[in-house]
Amino acid sequence: MRRSTRAAAYVLALVWLCVPLLPVIVWAGAERWSFPDVLPQAWGLAGWRDAGSAGLPLALLRSLGLGLAVSAVATPLGVMTGRVLGWRLTRRPIVVVGLLLVPLVLPPFAVAMGLDVVLIRIGLPELVSVVLLLAVVAIPYTAYTSATGFARTSPELEAQARALGATRRQARLRVVLPAMRGSILVAALLAFLVGWSDYVVTLLVGGGQLVTAPVLLGSAASGSGNDAMVAAMALATLLPPVLLVSAAAGLRWREPVAPENTVTMPESERMR
Amino acid sequence: MSPRHLAPAAAALAAALLAGACAAPAAESPTESVDRPWDEVLAEAEGQTVDLWMYGGDDRGNAYVDDVLAPAAADLGVTLRRVPVADTKDAMRRLLAERAAGADDGSVDLVWVNGDNFATGQEAGAWLCGWSDDLPNADYVAPEDPLVSEDFGVAVEGCESPWHKAQFTFAYDSARVSDPPTTVAGLLDWAEAHPGRFTYPAPPDFTGSVFVRQALYALSGGADSVPTTFDREAFDELTPALWDRLRDLAPSLWREGRTHPRDQVALDRLFADGQVDFTMTYGPATLTDLVDSGTFPSTTRVLGVTDGTVGNASFLAIPASSPDRSGAMVVADLALSPQQQAAKADPDVWGQFTVLDLDLLESDARRAFDRLPDSPVVPAYEELSANAQPELSSAWVTPLDEGWRREVLGRR
Amino acid sequence: MTSRGLRGAAPGIVSITVVSGTGMVAVLATSVGLMPLYGRPEPSLDGWRAAAPDLVAGIGESLLIAVPATVLAAVVGLGLAMLMLGGGRAVSVVRVACLAVLAVPHLVGATSVSLLLGDGGVAARLATPVTSGTWPALVGGPWPVATVLELAWKESAFVALVVLAAVAPGHRARMEVAAGLGARGWQRVTRVLVPTAVPAVGAASLVTLVYAIGSYEVAWLLGRAVPEPLPVLAFRLFGSIELTDRPAAAAAAVTGAALAVCVTLPALAALPRLRSLSARGSS
Repeated sequence: MRRSTRAAAYVLALVWLCVPLLPVIVWAGAERWSFPDVLPQAWGLAGWRDAGSAGLPLALLRSLGLGLAVSAVATPLGVMTGRVLGWRLTRRPIVVVGLLLVPLVLPPFAVAMGLDVVLIRIGLPELVSVVLLLAVVAIPYTAYTSATGFARTSPELEAQARALGATRRQARLRVVLPAMRGSILVAALLAFLVGWSDYVVTLLVGGGQLVTAPVLLGSAASGSGNDAMVAAMALATLLPPVLLVSAAAGLRWREPVAPENTVTMPESERMR
Repeated sequence: MSPRHLAPAAAALAAALLAGACAAPAAESPTESVDRPWDEVLAEAEGQTVDLWMYGGDDRGNAYVDDVLAPAAADLGVTLRRVPVADTKDAMRRLLAERAAGADDGSVDLVWVNGDNFATGQEAGAWLCGWSDDLPNADYVAPEDPLVSEDFGVAVEGCESPWHKAQFTFAYDSARVSDPPTTVAGLLDWAEAHPGRFTYPAPPDFTGSVFVRQALYALSGGADSVPTTFDREAFDELTPALWDRLRDLAPSLWREGRTHPRDQVALDRLFADGQVDFTMTYGPATLTDLVDSGTFPSTTRVLGVTDGTVGNASFLAIPASSPDRSGAMVVADLALSPQQQAAKADPDVWGQFTVLDLDLLESDARRAFDRLPDSPVVPAYEELSANAQPELSSAWVTPLDEGWRREVLGRR
Repeated sequence: MTSRGLRGAAPGIVSITVVSGTGMVAVLATSVGLMPLYGRPEPSLDGWRAAAPDLVAGIGESLLIAVPATVLAAVVGLGLAMLMLGGGRAVSVVRVACLAVLAVPHLVGATSVSLLLGDGGVAARLATPVTSGTWPALVGGPWPVATVLELAWKESAFVALVVLAAVAPGHRARMEVAAGLGARGWQRVTRVLVPTAVPAVGAASLVTLVYAIGSYEVAWLLGRAVPEPLPVLAFRLFGSIELTDRPAAAAAAVTGAALAVCVTLPALAALPRLRSLSARGSS
């Protein structure tokens, strides 16, 4: 490819990736922007004020809590499963891999609809139900991510620690876990994103009680007519995950691993 | 655990969960009459916490419950907790599921309800019945008032206690509308003549749904031409003209009818921003405050329509699964008291019309209502409800909402 | 070792089995009237019968959204990956942009796309001098254009990163060998790069397709009211408290899940073949 076509291709790629988010960014700073002007007539923070009084700060806190809770449940479960897969501890990995595919294939809304009535009837609080369901959605991601991490770490590590007198618990917590730090962080990040970004499960199982940032945004976007407020909500919902992922990418970039591994993006990088 | 044991164990757990969920549901409504002394109910209520599930999109309604009703309940020893829901159906789904599970420790103690939600709960036997007529303050409700004894065509039978009356009302900005229409059909013509200046919330939103019923009345030659109880033949005969009219109107609506405001709050915002010239509400008394606070222009006026608009009442109902029945009854009675009804009718507080018959009140209680400020925007309830039409039975509501979605929204 | 090893995987696997299994059995039972919202459970196919016309239309609409979105995501994603494989200083910028797009919640993406492509949106404003105010109904119009574009946009970043991860190891070496064997620039792409990337593109496309079939919020916000794709149909009926609507909602959910399974199983069977094909192609 010639230099100029190459540059053009880069510009095109960045346009494709960035332009869809532009309206939200511009609208979030617009006070008045009536058709057909290409730029807002007045800039201001009216959208943010409206979003604030509609309960955005609390909704963001709830999303944060939900993301952390999903991460706290899905990460340990995923790491345990990932260890079995990564270190090939089972003769039938196909069973584990197959079951891990189930939450990816079955639409979450279908599972949530079935479980909703069951969970209400056995009297589980909505919050617990939502965390449980989203954790199951997140386990495949955390499991695959940590499986690739384990695959890069020798199982000998645990055996050596045992040989040096560590108990099984000590060997896992003090030796294996620190060696796996990077993968576990990525797994936790993915699970957090599942909880942070979810809309349909939170709405279905939460029964309208758990107003997270996406739930608030969804109800505003579907017909409040206040585009500046919607954009402010969207931007506030968008920034935390994007910053987190960019920061994680930056950290991994600097980690002294072989460059070919830094671009490792397993199937697990499915974030919603 | 070997894989051979793993699968059956998981399956057994899943089966146990399902079996629990399929437990035989109860069908008929339990009744609880208050023929015992009210003091006993009050004593039992003391210390109970009542969860009132109600639509949370009305800021002033929320403020009334939190700042006026809840403190008064606290004086009676009852903790009132408001649980906001985006749609009353969210509360219904929950209490129906709890009812089906046979729970008597449900999470809903009191619901603000009427219409199809009440009817569904009644069909499911999910309400506690036979209590509301015996509340001490029910003495001030006119016994023959049809708005209070029937809820969208379903007999109340002591299963819910009235809370407020409502009259569907159109409002417009007189500075922008120089030629206000005088009938509902005329309003549709006006909308066609002024493209982009009118819209209505999309059913099944409550307000949008009323608008469609109002339009049905207007296009069928009045409320008398539409049978109150649902009738498939009448539906098939009357609705094609309605769908045709609304479909023809769509291109003249705000954003060419491609989007509709989500609910009345969203429509009010469009009106406040000057994007449309009309708004509509089932709670017209709130208009006064919206004008006072400068949200709506001072030139906002209520549209007088000679063919009249629909009116209804809304209620407080106690689910059969409520663990705090006495507390819930005490709150329902308190909400019906002349003091609370008068406070709630104040346009500065919430501005909801009372369900009480003022002629039955003692003189000083009555004076509280007389002292309510007159509104420059909203005429008195008597004037608003002139020519008032009854609501259609709740069995009409879903077919109309669904018909609108298919025939108007889906076939532009 | 097998049993002890599986014990480690057990908590995760058991939670998936219990939650997904219970959910699917319950939704199936609901669809045939065994778990009504209230009243006596009675087996009946009324829900399926009531929903049948909408289900057929819903399958069509779901595929009309998912297939074009997947194809577009695969093509653009492969292009992005090839661009990044080419090297240069801008690579890390594109890569971070892909990661950022991946992290955007779909609902936020849909919101922004509606402000971009909707009536009175940014695109309509920019086009005003040319179109004199008439703008096609991309949002909520007769064709699900905005829905497809939003899904394709976000998923193209996913496809790009998966392909990059699969192809980048050894990419330079393969290119040098191919060049040494006399392959020209374009030949290196079609004979070496594309075949190496095919399994990754296939796997990522499958994930995208299944996700698009099961996704709710994008079509709900950007799509038209009638007909609805299966998730939107199911969700709307589920919100109703009409006795007959709940089995119909469950029928739509079961149909959506079945559709997802139906596209996955043959594709999973085909993927190893794709891999062997590509292995031959790159040798």
